Amino acid sequence: MSIVIADEPRTAPPPPEPAVPVRNYLNNNYSVWSWLLTTDHKRIGILYLVSLTLFFTVGGIAAGMVRLNLLSPSGAILTEDQYNRMFTAHGVVMLFLFLIPSIPAVMGNFFIPMMIGAKDLAFPKLNLASWYVFMIGAGFAVWAVLAGGIDTGWTLYPPYSSRYSHTNVTPGVFGVFITGFSSIMTGLNIMVTIHKMRCPGMTWGRMPLFCWALYATSFIQLLGTPVVAITLTLLMVERVAGVGIFDPTIGGDPLLFQHLFWFYSHPAVYIMIVPGMGVVSEIITCFSRKNIFGYKAVAWSSVGIAVVGFLVWSHHMFVAGISYYSAILFSFLTMLVAVPSAIKVFNWTATLYRGSITFQAPMLFTLAFLVLFTVGGVTGVFLATLGTDIHLHDTYFVVAHFHFVMVGGMVLAYMAALHFWWPKMTGRMYSDFWSRASATIIFVGFFLTFVPQFVLGYHGMPRRYPNYPQEFQVYNVLSTAGASVLGFGYLLPGVYLTLSLFFGKKASANPWSATGLEWQTPSPPTLHNFDATPVVVCGPYEYAIAVDQMGRGLPEPPGPGSAGDPASHFGPTGPCGPIYKETEVVG
Amino acid sequence: MSKPDHNKPDDPPTMHDVDKPATLFAVYLVVLGLAVANIMLSVAGLHNLALPVQLGIGTVQAVLVAWYWMHLRRGDQVVTLSAVTSLFFVFIFYVLVLSDVLTRWRGGL
Repeated sequence: MSIVIADEPRTAPPPPEPAVPVRNYLNNNYSVWSWLLTTDHKRIGILYLVSLTLFFTVGGIAAGMVRLNLLSPSGAILTEDQYNRMFTAHGVVMLFLFLIPSIPAVMGNFFIPMMIGAKDLAFPKLNLASWYVFMIGAGFAVWAVLAGGIDTGWTLYPPYSSRYSHTNVTPGVFGVFITGFSSIMTGLNIMVTIHKMRCPGMTWGRMPLFCWALYATSFIQLLGTPVVAITLTLLMVERVAGVGIFDPTIGGDPLLFQHLFWFYSHPAVYIMIVPGMGVVSEIITCFSRKNIFGYKAVAWSSVGIAVVGFLVWSHHMFVAGISYYSAILFSFLTMLVAVPSAIKVFNWTATLYRGSITFQAPMLFTLAFLVLFTVGGVTGVFLATLGTDIHLHDTYFVVAHFHFVMVGGMVLAYMAALHFWWPKMTGRMYSDFWSRASATIIFVGFFLTFVPQFVLGYHGMPRRYPNYPQEFQVYNVLSTAGASVLGFGYLLPGVYLTLSLFFGKKASANPWSATGLEWQTPSPPTLHNFDATPVVVCGPYEYAIAVDQMGRGLPEPPGPGSAGDPASHFGPTGPCGPIYKETEVVG
Repeated sequence: MSKPDHNKPDDPPTMHDVDKPATLFAVYLVVLGLAVANIMLSVAGLHNLALPVQLGIGTVQAVLVAWYWMHLRRGDQVVTLSAVTSLFFVFIFYVLVLSDVLTRWRGGL
């Protein structure tokens, strides 16, 4: 339905600031064992946050080495063999140990129960087990890529990986195999929690879009991860026992590996990006002070991406030797996935339209996501098109496209989520200036890094080659310069977020004046999140009438009136006028 | 007698709803036996029959695991729907892979 709000706000007054509890999840117990044996979803989220930050650093250093080496046409610092191992380390660590678990394991663990009004996830012990399993798998994988390395690329294509590589393929594959179980555990936990533990009034139509996104992600994790697990097992069987599965010289079919691998690994791209889309939906409404445009469309498009994402994998194999007919079929199917993705982008853009936009760090990261993800998506159409893919396949065009989606999209969404929910997680505010500076530097550095790679790829520079013709050097130097800027941009949050823990101003319960249930708890939250089970009475984004999901008024949005807050300089209602507008009420 | 609803806290599972260890162990032995049979059949020279026979044995193993160990025979509608959904995606995988395998002889890129 559609209602028109008059000039005067007719909302309930905001609830009083909840009393800061003596005990919260952070200070309840300081012992190491209380962290290592915790079943509190919030602490497990923090454990994942620390672990993933470490792995992101390792993967980032590997990326830096790759880019440094490409400064020179003949390789600046690495031998060719070292180069192979370095880009494999970058791929394996970033994909399996950072991108896939990042938002589901950190933000999902921490916030899904709070957003649906639950005390914890459905299976707290399984949740802790998932972190241990992840760390064991990560230990194998990191040891494999650092102690000797793997030279196959993260895709581990046989028969090279299964028969001929003399590097640490087996422990690396075993590590990835183990981390897959962690992914399944997390997905299962989140899915069951959303089904079974929503508080009274939290219907599916009132559930925050972040929860919808994580639900769709869990669907992919549960259906796809076992496939890659068995694929990697078969790879190990061929490598260790010499059973002919993928190697054609002993009766195998290498394309079978690619089919099995990409049946998981393409949907895995959506495991990475769909949670980011959920984050964007949360932030874009909050910092536009508007209800989401097209709640149902955005919610169901998450499910649509999860389903259609399983139908498109062979576009990675267009030039691998699959049949013409299959290639045409997959080209068509790949185009389909653009539909739900575009639905989201259009709805986010419509949400921004005439919104009272403020430009705090979470919103800057989110706007950067919108731009970069759109570029990444549109360049994906070139690769989905059979004819152009033959020209662009395995070139730097693919590298640039992938990084636009994964880094420009997912990593920025992760940064947005981190900045949005940091006050809730830690109870501290961070530097407004430096956080916005970081978002801007990352955005600029990203463009400088990856736009030259589009040009390189179009002109035919293949990916994974340590050497290149002289005429490509200028683009490679530009890209490496951009990577330096990007790296500096990533370092900044590491500094100011850490400093905020010690010197940051204490955060209020709802510093962004957001509507979700997670903001109805103190910052940082108490042990069991809510003193009493919340009762939801309205939709998740009632910014137009300024009420939270429990029907209570919202505090004043951050602005110049609240000195010291990480507020925009554009004022509490933004540059586009007052916040009361014609709007659609969801739920 | 109506089927117990395990979602209600006041209606916990009874002994009737729990599989006996002997049953589960027997199923385990059957699955192991079928695995041994499958391995032996692979060197038995079945030629064209090898693929359907061995896939059939594998299917029986999977059904036993799902029916007994995954408790699908006691699962409610959501659990059954989840299992069917996974089968649906396996079906999609086979169909789309076969679109390549069955037409590859006509040429490819």
